[in-house]
Amino acid sequence: MNISDLLSFLSEDRFIPELKAKTKSEALEELTDILVDANLIRNKHLILEMLHRRESVGSTGIGHGIAIPHGRTTAAPELIIVFGRSSSGIAWEAIDGKPVHLIFLVIAPPHEEDNQYLPMLGKLVEFLHDENNRNKLLEIKTFQEFEELIKA
Amino acid sequence: MNKNQLDLLVALQDIDLMLKELDDVKQLGFEVRTEGAEALQRAREELTQKIGKPLLGKYERLRARYKRAIVPVKGDTCLGCFMRLPTYLITHKDKHNQIITCEGCGRILYWLE
Repeated sequence: MNISDLLSFLSEDRFIPELKAKTKSEALEELTDILVDANLIRNKHLILEMLHRRESVGSTGIGHGIAIPHGRTTAAPELIIVFGRSSSGIAWEAIDGKPVHLIFLVIAPPHEEDNQYLPMLGKLVEFLHDENNRNKLLEIKTFQEFEELIKA
Repeated sequence: MNKNQLDLLVALQDIDLMLKELDDVKQLGFEVRTEGAEALQRAREELTQKIGKPLLGKYERLRARYKRAIVPVKGDTCLGCFMRLPTYLITHKDKHNQIITCEGCGRILYWLE
């Protein structure tokens, strides 16, 4: 699997260049609302419950301004990724204590035929460990620029 | 929000899925606190107390047999055994709230649409 495979799960309607959310809870809701609007999920409460539970196990803020809230849920029809960015930053109880600016929501159904969920999470973590990639993600303005960065 | 028994079962299965993959996500570099995993077990216990005993027993039996007790329905197909479901189930008025099982595999159905 390559990081470019991310584009199979993240389309333009799942790209939020500037989140309105000011808190972690609001951000999770805003990212999940995208899936409701796209008719991908019918019960966002089940998904939000799972995401909040995951946060209670340990923050999904992995440091350097990045958060990757994630989890499997019976309510997810397929592997789905949503990207949101916050210029002002959101308190996420991240491992380095710093606010989060780049958020990738990753949800997956209980079982996928080709098991792409964990490898995709791993590729995303690897991609975001690169400072150069993080800086570019903070600067891009359009989904097309996002696509170019991911494909590069 | 008052949850129906089906939603409680889905939340329970989601916890079970999370518990199963905690080590995997930890290896990827995510924080998984020991007390967090314990809290997850406690949340599971609390949830089971809200689910009727016969239904909880059914969930546990199905989980032991199939690993996943609740399976999604996409279109008119059970994604557990891939059997096409009969029309009377597809058009069931209260399918999002009722416990309905697949006639093919017996697993509890969660309607994605």
